[in-house]
Amino acid sequence: MPEMLTTQTAVGARLHTLPVEGDVCRVSFVFRAGTAAQSIPFSASATANLLGEGSRDMSSKEISDRLDFYGSYFGVEIDRDWSVVTFCMLRKFFAPTMDIARRMLIEPVFSEKELATYAAKRKQSLIIERSKPAFKARELFAASLFGPHHPYGVSSGPELYDALAREQIVDFYDRFYLASNCFVVASGAIGEAEQTIIEQTVSGLPVRPAAEPETVEVTDSQRYGFALHEGAVQSALRIGRVLFPRNHPDFVPMQIVATTLGGYFSSRLVKNLREKRGYTYGAYAAMVNMQQAGYLAISTEVASAATDDAIAQIVIETERLRQEKVRSKELQTVKNIMVGEVLRIIDGPFGVADVAIESIQCGEPWDYLTSIVERIRSFTADELLATAQKYLLPERFTIIAVAAEKPKIFD
Amino acid sequence: MIEYKKLTLDNGMTVMLHRDRVSEMAAVNVLYRVGARNENPLRTGFAHLFEHLMFRGTRRVPDFDSPVQLACGENNAFTTNDYTDFYIALPKDNIETALWLEADRVNGLNINFKSLEAEKKVVIEEFNQCYLNQPYGDQWMLLRDMAYKVHPYRWATIGATPDHIRDATAPEVKAFYKRYYQPCNAILSLAAGLDYDRMARLAEKWFGGIPSAPRAEDVLPAEPAQNEARRVEVERRVPSNAITIAFRMGPRAGRQFYICDLASDILAGGNSGRLYQRLVKDKRLFSSVNAYMTGELDPGLFVVTGHLLPETAVEQGERALWSELEALNSEPPSDYDMEKVKNKFEANTIFGELNVMNKAMNMGFYEMLGKAELINTEVDIYRSITREEVVATARELFDPRSSSTLIYHAI
Repeated sequence: MPEMLTTQTAVGARLHTLPVEGDVCRVSFVFRAGTAAQSIPFSASATANLLGEGSRDMSSKEISDRLDFYGSYFGVEIDRDWSVVTFCMLRKFFAPTMDIARRMLIEPVFSEKELATYAAKRKQSLIIERSKPAFKARELFAASLFGPHHPYGVSSGPELYDALAREQIVDFYDRFYLASNCFVVASGAIGEAEQTIIEQTVSGLPVRPAAEPETVEVTDSQRYGFALHEGAVQSALRIGRVLFPRNHPDFVPMQIVATTLGGYFSSRLVKNLREKRGYTYGAYAAMVNMQQAGYLAISTEVASAATDDAIAQIVIETERLRQEKVRSKELQTVKNIMVGEVLRIIDGPFGVADVAIESIQCGEPWDYLTSIVERIRSFTADELLATAQKYLLPERFTIIAVAAEKPKIFD
Repeated sequence: MIEYKKLTLDNGMTVMLHRDRVSEMAAVNVLYRVGARNENPLRTGFAHLFEHLMFRGTRRVPDFDSPVQLACGENNAFTTNDYTDFYIALPKDNIETALWLEADRVNGLNINFKSLEAEKKVVIEEFNQCYLNQPYGDQWMLLRDMAYKVHPYRWATIGATPDHIRDATAPEVKAFYKRYYQPCNAILSLAAGLDYDRMARLAEKWFGGIPSAPRAEDVLPAEPAQNEARRVEVERRVPSNAITIAFRMGPRAGRQFYICDLASDILAGGNSGRLYQRLVKDKRLFSSVNAYMTGELDPGLFVVTGHLLPETAVEQGERALWSELEALNSEPPSDYDMEKVKNKFEANTIFGELNVMNKAMNMGFYEMLGKAELINTEVDIYRSITREEVVATARELFDPRSSSTLIYHAI
């Protein structure tokens, strides 16, 4: 595993570097500026996405043209808590790419015209996404787990893009794109020269206290959620419950439970729903981590006629985990899969940055990853049983379906 | 740049080796020269169904996934119109687990009626999930059926209809296996932090003793020249109207492919592409646009596509796409544009070679094309292309008489 070196830049933002031999570099600027921090729908994602749509001295076209000229890649990822702005480039184009990065991060203009184009485009793609059962299911699941107005549960309709105004974007940018609200992760061919350039880049970020995102209360989860999808040949199912974020001592144990249930290709859910019954192409279970919460998510798309039985089978599989101790070979497989996943992600200079970002977001030291691996390796079947008994309580599950017909269990 | 060694075992199996000096992982990739192109027109989707069956176990290995998972590895596969690819990534010390499994896969498949019936259901659910329960999911079925009349590229790898999958029988499965899953029809690629001699000995140890039948050479009907504009308009429950225009072009390994790739980048490579800048941003006719090639072994398709904004009429969108295709001739790309798309290709090549799995997969793919050396020479080919070639090729290719247009009308 590459070493992580952490330094404090002059403006206060921390810079974490993970040097990996080769010709490529990746630099991610991470802001605590996710959708949970926004009071206006879509303002968090619009702010991040519009960074590339024009700066004080460069038009949107010039920015994309120059980045494309260097073969550099720029992307943003926004979740409920964070906005991550990433640049990937060949080392030989590091300086000119970072020059553009600086203009985008420090001098964006958020022009009315670019906003209008962006809003029209995104509105249309949200309409497309919302016509997909799986997407509808994801929105309904979040709303049913956290409540439709909760920062982690809310979703907004495409029509709200029409109301998005420039001042709202500027306001969001001013409140959250600050040195004190940012950390940087750089991986790949990062030497002293590259570090200096990164420091110069962040030195333009304003230094003032960031608006603290509100502490969120978890409201009561709904037991069932249903959305009609006329003519659907498959039903999208999501089952789960609100638990805890990654800093909770039971997070890793629950990850092991979730992996056993549906975290790999011959997991219990896949064996049952796919291999044995042929109801589905895939079935998954995972723990989802957020800053102030975490939840268990089970998801699958099944043949319409199999909807009721698929829900029943999923519940049966969770029951089995509560009642029977897992056999040692299966547990060993699960552990090795989880460890193997870590090894694969950190192979190569880009993946290791993703692992580092998540670890820093959770406030963990870099060597904590090693202790997670240790925790996984030492986990016992008894612990797994106890964890499942504690948390896989069927009466606490939220069950949602997006389907052509309402499942019988919902009545 | 991927340094590699190529050898041929006595049974005709091709072996590609790459020594990675950094990684702790090993990648084992086996590519079989069989895809949807080799299917009986009444059993379309068969190669892909077969790929699924390859995970249902062999004589010595009843369950294919667990040994990989126990070895901290990950395995999967995919099928295209031209080939079928199986891959395993795992820690390098465990490489023999992967070789043992892949060796058994070449000659020990164990198919019974029950596993065939269950897998058929899974594949039909995949058909439903990915092609029928998605907006525009049937795009490629409609497009291939229109653009090809005799060549087997006229159907998609998932198949022309779920009925063909439902009708597949065990004797057909066995015959297919015997014909195509032979060492002489396979390319084994290893990329790992192991020295070349060791990898060569391992390849010989696990695969050298497997007897091979002669390689199956299927003679495929050549697609006759197209001399009339083709058009299909469908009404679907999709969120917006969409236009796709496909043009006939040459094979993947020919020079024309590289010229077309640059042309498609001028049109749609990154945010600075002409289609995006002009039709999405300036004129605001489309919410998204794209241009790409199928890049297949036999002559393939150049595809231009876009989703319309609600206020744009289909005819207006179509005219706009055509005028951009014609503009490649009237406003040829500048030297800067040419340099840009070539840089972009170079960066993408390097970004695509970052871990052992990508390297092994690339070696298999280029060897399948019959030109392994292209892994390292493609950048030079791109560098050698002139804008005159781009203009001449665009003029030749974008002829209404060899176009196939698919329109989705949203209802």
